Amino acid sequence: MKEIKLVFTGSMGAGKTTAISALSEIPVINTDVNATDEVIARKATTTVALDYGEMTLPDGQKLRLYGTPGQERFAYMWKILMQGALGLIILVDNAGENPLGDLEIYLNHFREDIEKTTAVIGVTRMDLSKKPNLAAYNDFLRKKNLQLPVFSVDVRRKQNVVLMVQTLVAMLEY
Amino acid sequence: MLSSQQKQLLNNKLQTLLENSEEITAALVTTVDGHLCAMHQRKDYPLDRLATMGSSLMSLGDTITAELKMGSCRNIISENESGIVTFMHINNSLVLITITLQKNALGLLLAHSRKAAEEMAKSL
Repeated sequence: MKEIKLVFTGSMGAGKTTAISALSEIPVINTDVNATDEVIARKATTTVALDYGEMTLPDGQKLRLYGTPGQERFAYMWKILMQGALGLIILVDNAGENPLGDLEIYLNHFREDIEKTTAVIGVTRMDLSKKPNLAAYNDFLRKKNLQLPVFSVDVRRKQNVVLMVQTLVAMLEY
Repeated sequence: MLSSQQKQLLNNKLQTLLENSEEITAALVTTVDGHLCAMHQRKDYPLDRLATMGSSLMSLGDTITAELKMGSCRNIISENESGIVTFMHINNSLVLITITLQKNALGLLLAHSRKAAEEMAKSL
């Protein structure tokens, strides 16, 4: 059976672990530890190595879902986790201080991978912060010479995350 | 978050560890989320990066141990062509990482590191 490896990355607190938990058919393997820095103001724990879950699409394709740590000091894990990956999902917290700046960090780090494979962008917490809106994200990507789908997602809702993943898989196939 | 006094205490303990064991080349303490707290070394290793990597590795060790229901993870050992690196918890928030360039010093490295970790845990 064909298996596809997908990687979820993005800013701290954007919901990578939650998204994988929403999708996974197996208990999610995670490496969350107590945060000891400024992260603690947002959440008690942070991922320091990886998240891992699995999901099967209706046509039987198995997806292996990996989540990266969000903070840049763990960038060595980003490279490790991208090995063999066929697609990337970048989650951006729209209620963060500088969402487009956050997106830029991940686009720059993963640019080569995005060009080799493909990616989708999921913007989270738009209910808490309406700006930047999706048009602003599209403009931003255009200026970077990238054409990638951008979704507003609530990662707690499985259907939201499934739609993003199905779009990514469809892009890989065509 | 550790106070500067606690960081100084850890630095002193690491210094003692290296003074008592010539085989140990470097030792550092990192938080479980990868921030370097204290270090002492005879070489010039990039210990900031090692601190972050150590937190990832320790967390993976804890995750594997929990998966196999083997209690708590005592140490992670990386035995290499030119030396050994060990990782162990000091407490729930801190990890001790020690390095030796001697390939045959695993027992010694573990024993000295364990003793130091226990002393640090007691004094914090």
